[in-house]
Amino acid sequence: MTHFLPFLVTAMNRHSTFMCRNRFSLSPVALVLTVCGSLLFVSGCGKTPAASFRPNMVEAAKQRLKPEQEEQVATILEAMFGTPDNPIAMPETGLDIGKLRLAAGPVHSDIVGRKNGLFREHCSHCHGVTGDGMGPTAAFLNPYPRDYRPGWFKFKSTERADKPTHGDLVTILNNGIYGTSMPSFELLGEAKVDALVEYVKYLSMRGEAELNMMRYFFELDDEDEGKLPETRDFLVEEILLPVAERWQEAEDAVIEVPEMPEVDLAESIAMGKELFYGNKANCVKCHGVTALGDGQANDYDDWNKVVKQWSDEVQSSHEVSTKEMSREEKAEHREYLARADKALAGDALEPRTIQPRNLRQAIYRGGRRPIDFYYRIHAGINGAPMPAAAGTLTPDEIWHVVNYIRSLPYEFDGELGADRSMVARDRL
Amino acid sequence: MRNRLAGIFWSILFLAVPVLGVGVFAIAPSIDVWLPKDVSSHGKEIDSLFYFILALTGIVFIVTEMLLFWFIWKYDAAARGDEKATYIHGSHTLEVIWTIIPAVTMLFLAIYQMNAWADMKMRRPVMKPTVEVVARQFEWRLRYPGPDGDLGTPDDLFLVNDLHVPVDEDILIQLKSMDVLHSFFLPNLRMKQDAVPGMKIPVWFKATETGQYDLVCAELCGWGHYKMKGRITIESREDYDAWLEAKYREQEATQPEPMDEIL
Repeated sequence: MTHFLPFLVTAMNRHSTFMCRNRFSLSPVALVLTVCGSLLFVSGCGKTPAASFRPNMVEAAKQRLKPEQEEQVATILEAMFGTPDNPIAMPETGLDIGKLRLAAGPVHSDIVGRKNGLFREHCSHCHGVTGDGMGPTAAFLNPYPRDYRPGWFKFKSTERADKPTHGDLVTILNNGIYGTSMPSFELLGEAKVDALVEYVKYLSMRGEAELNMMRYFFELDDEDEGKLPETRDFLVEEILLPVAERWQEAEDAVIEVPEMPEVDLAESIAMGKELFYGNKANCVKCHGVTALGDGQANDYDDWNKVVKQWSDEVQSSHEVSTKEMSREEKAEHREYLARADKALAGDALEPRTIQPRNLRQAIYRGGRRPIDFYYRIHAGINGAPMPAAAGTLTPDEIWHVVNYIRSLPYEFDGELGADRSMVARDRL
Repeated sequence: MRNRLAGIFWSILFLAVPVLGVGVFAIAPSIDVWLPKDVSSHGKEIDSLFYFILALTGIVFIVTEMLLFWFIWKYDAAARGDEKATYIHGSHTLEVIWTIIPAVTMLFLAIYQMNAWADMKMRRPVMKPTVEVVARQFEWRLRYPGPDGDLGTPDDLFLVNDLHVPVDEDILIQLKSMDVLHSFFLPNLRMKQDAVPGMKIPVWFKATETGQYDLVCAELCGWGHYKMKGRITIESREDYDAWLEAKYREQEATQPEPMDEIL
């Protein structure tokens, strides 16, 4: 070892002299670093793997699908709907493939310089490439971004269980949803908004078709051998049409809104107030006696309820004693639990309770036009605990409640708040 | 010989900074990356201040960069053979001069721009707000006071991203933020003001020409900052009133709009 040392010192000395004399020259180290940096830069700009749709892991685990069954669902879905880069619009869906192509795929400009890949540019970071409401930013947001796959939409002009119309979704994209993280996309222009709405419908139909298939395995006969029949008739009739038709029917199923009764506004508001606090409409139950949204708040909306109920179920399965089980049963049980835990961790966001709207802020998610309120009170809010009032209240009564709610932000101030002596306690 | 080449390389590199720097400024207006068209009453003053400071700093920039180049070129050890460097302790006089000149220049600028600053940020027109702008991730929520002129009353008009103002009139905007720092930036009106959560900040200007221009966020406010784009439409009083009226009627709709109007 020692006889190497003098050599080393000489080498170092030589090197340091070299360094001093060449302080301003391009050192080989700098050159190597530059080249490596450039290579990294170039490789970073290379092709990324093609995007793919994520399977509905929660539903698959819940239905205890076998791996080959999951695979079959994925194969059929790809045959019916294509991939995120290459969407397919089967004629039965009634979707416009031109619009879908504009919205689908990676962000790029086509030959005529038109921007494509709109969904991934504007929507997927929250709603996810699959439209499952689980994009990279989703977990930060409250409320969570919408999961299109169950096919439930909140703010629309149709009856509670119906799909929204195309125009309803256009309105949402144009106005955004004030009070949530959904911003306005109006300035994108009509054509782009239209294409995005078409793509949302596509993702929703795809998600619902997936759910339909996963749930269909239950109904199979023994002779099917645990596989869905892969005939066009079966897939269209049993899987696709039940979803697609409901989207098409929605266009002609807009709720008819009778004209507002010709009553003095103050009188209408007074009647609305009575209904709001009365047993018939019972708005106070959730929106609270102060209308600040401080009523019952321990409920869940349907998206969160699905996760909540199932995770409770999985939790109690964890506590089941395995003593009585045979070896195979034990293995199966363990496998099911592991899969369920994985699905809940990877394919679901932590369930959150509802927040009944604070009606005094003049911030309304589903629009502030009187007609928007009418739709919401008449049909309720699909997916939320807000019930339909159509059976209990007459159209005139709904209008009174609409007028009262619209006056709430100004009740103690401005023109309508003349009666300042009114306090929450007196109203009861 | 190799070392002399290195000296030349570095001095040319340093020379490229002022040459390219001035070059970019020289061609910028012709490739349309210069100041956007000014349509505000106070913009001329802002622009002339900008040009004045640009000229001042531009001269200092060129002189400094040329000196940097010159020193590297002239005092390259390889070119000067065995000549020894002189050790000097510094020049007191020189230091006083190069401290006093910038200090006086800065002080001059501070006083010279004071009136323009006061016009934009202190001498607010006595009036009620034309519109309230609430910045949030990632859009501009707008609230017009309606016919009674007061915000927070039932005739308020709520809109988003699509700001309209009348031409040749004082405009007072009440600026708020709902979540984080944003910056309300109207490049064509030479107006930029941070929106701060919890504060109600007045912003005023007078537009001199009709047209549609950008409204952008000029403060990194989150991942979607780049898409926080709105639009300002400057129009005649009649057009503005008609627009307000139409939007208000839309907001008060008790029947659905015909489909062709939505799409």
